[in-house]
Amino acid sequence: MITVERLTKRYGPFTAVNDISFEVKPGLVTGFLGPNGAGKTTAMRIVAGLTPPTSGTTTVLGQPYASLPNPGRHVGVLLDASAQHAGRTGREVLALGAALMGIDKSRVAEMLDVVGLTDKEAGRKVRNYSLGMRQRLGIAHALLGDPEVMILDEPANGLDPAGIRWMRDLLRGFAGEGGTVLLSSHLLNEIERVADELIVIGNGTIVAHGTKDELLAGAGTIVRSTDDDALMAALAEGSIVSRRTATGGLQVEAEPLEVGRVAAARGIVLTELRGGDTRGLEEMFLELTSGSAREEVAA
Amino acid sequence: MTTPTTQSSPANPSAPATAHPNVSAKAESALPTVATMPSRLPGERPTTGIPFSRLTRVELRKQLDTRAGRWLIIAIGLVIATALAINFFTNGGQHSFEDYLSATMLPTAIILPVIGILAVTSEWSQRTGLVTFALEPRRTRVAMAKLVSAVLIGIAAFVLAFALAALVHQAAITFRGINGDWSVGGLVVLGAGLYVLLGLMQGVAFGALFRNTPAAIVVYFVLPTVWGILGGLISWLDTPSQWLDMNRTMQPLFSGSMSGEQWAQLGTSVAVWIVVPLVVGILLLRRAEVK
Repeated sequence: MITVERLTKRYGPFTAVNDISFEVKPGLVTGFLGPNGAGKTTAMRIVAGLTPPTSGTTTVLGQPYASLPNPGRHVGVLLDASAQHAGRTGREVLALGAALMGIDKSRVAEMLDVVGLTDKEAGRKVRNYSLGMRQRLGIAHALLGDPEVMILDEPANGLDPAGIRWMRDLLRGFAGEGGTVLLSSHLLNEIERVADELIVIGNGTIVAHGTKDELLAGAGTIVRSTDDDALMAALAEGSIVSRRTATGGLQVEAEPLEVGRVAAARGIVLTELRGGDTRGLEEMFLELTSGSAREEVAA
Repeated sequence: MTTPTTQSSPANPSAPATAHPNVSAKAESALPTVATMPSRLPGERPTTGIPFSRLTRVELRKQLDTRAGRWLIIAIGLVIATALAINFFTNGGQHSFEDYLSATMLPTAIILPVIGILAVTSEWSQRTGLVTFALEPRRTRVAMAKLVSAVLIGIAAFVLAFALAALVHQAAITFRGINGDWSVGGLVVLGAGLYVLLGLMQGVAFGALFRNTPAAIVVYFVLPTVWGILGGLISWLDTPSQWLDMNRTMQPLFSGSMSGEQWAQLGTSVAVWIVVPLVVGILLLRRAEVK
C-alpha cells in the first residue's frame, strides 16, 4: 500500500510534481505512465525518501518511508538500474544488500537464479553488464528482502519482449500473493501488458487514473465509414461527441451499439466498428501528454 | 546488448555459457521462460531497525571491496615498503625506531584519508546512494557508520604500520648490526595515531561536505597547504595559524611535549578542520537529494 497526498516538488521556478494524490493498492500491479520528464521519477524518489518534497506527504505500508524499520525487508526499490558501483560484481552488490538487511547469504544465489544470471555473470563487474543485465540485477536486489511492496522505475528498459513478458509474470505473481506494485514506464504498450491499474501523469499532474478497463471504456468507440462527415453530423444530432483520430476514422464517446444504430438509421456504410481498445488508450495517452511530452526535462 | 533470442535452451538459464557452443562466451544468459517467484523468507518481518554494528560492518566492506579501495591499500603498502627499504639500506640502516615509525606513518596518514572521502562521495559519483539510503533512510547513522568504519581502518593501518616499523628496525639490528634505538615517547605514538585517524575523519567530513570526489580530494589536499603557506608568509596570519594550522598544532606532539596552550591549539584546529566540517557535512547529507 502506497499513498501520495497533495505532493508537490519544485526546483526553483520549475514544478516537477504539482499537487498529485493517488493510492496504490495491494494485490494489483499499478502502472505509472507518462512521457519522460512528466514527474514519475521525482514522485517515486520522494516516496522512497530519497528526495525531500516541497509539500505534501507520502506513506508506504501506512507510515513515512523513513520510519520503516529495516525498509529493505518491507519495500523493494529499483529506481535506476545503472546506479550501482561499476567496480563491484553483481554478486557483491546483492551480498552487500543481504548483509545490510540481515538475511542469509543463500538468498543471493536464489535471487540470481530468479533473474537468470549465471554464476559467471554474477562474478563479472557491473561495468561490464548490459542495461538488460543491470535491470535483472536491480530486480533481484529489489526482491532480496522478500518485500510486500515493490517500487520500480522503468524496469522494462533494456529488456527484450521476452524479458518484458517474464517481468509481467513475475509482478503478477507478486501481486497475486497480495503484494503492492508500482512501476513506471514512458511506453504505453510496455505497461499495458503488465498493469491492472494505470496512473497517467503529464507535466507534473495526474491526467487519468483508473483500472485499465475503466480507461479503455473511457476511450469509447472507434468507427470508420464510407462517409465520416455524414456520420459525425448524425452523431452530433444525437448529442454524441465524436472526433477524428490521427489514424483516420472517428473516436466516439458512446457504446458501439449506439453508434451502429445511428449509422443504420442514416444508411451509412461502416467499414469498422469496435470498442475503444488499446489503440484508443494510446491515442488518449498521446493526447493527454502531448503538451508535456515536448518538454523533455530530466525527471 | 540484447538478450540473445537464438539461445538454444533458454529453459536452462543457469547452465554456463560454454554449454552452448553456438553462443559466444560473452553472450548473455536468457531470462527464465517461466518466472519463478522467490521463496518467502522465514519468520516475521523485522520491526526493529538495522543495528549500528551491522551498518558499520557493511560500510567497512564497501570501503574495501572496490578496486579504488583495494588499490589505495596496495599503494600505501608499496609506499611504506619503499620508505622502510630506503631507511634500511641508506646510512647502513642506522636509524632510530622513531625514524622507521615516521617512514610508515607519513604515507599512511597522507593516502588513507582518500578512503574516508570516497566512502561518502562514491555514494554520489557511483550513485550507490540510491540503494544505500533506500535501505537505511536514517542518513546520520549511515554517515556515522562510515566514520566509524573509516576509523577502524585507520586503527588497523596504524597497528600494521607500527608493527612493520618495529619489524624492519629489528631486522636492521639483526642483519645490519646497527645499534637499536627503541626509545619512543608516548606523545609521539599518540601523535602518529591522531595523525592517521584525524586525517581519515577529515576525509569523511570533506566527503560529506562536497559529495563530489574530485572537489573533496582537491580541497582536502590543497586548502590546508595553502593555509599553511599563507600562515608562514603573512605576518598577521601567524597568530591565527598557530591555532588553526593543523600541521603546526600537531607538531609539538612529535617533539614529545605539549603545554596546556598547545593542547588548546590542537583542540581548536581539530574543531575547525574536522568537527565543524563533519557536523555541517552530515546536516547537508541529511537534506541532500540522492540522485
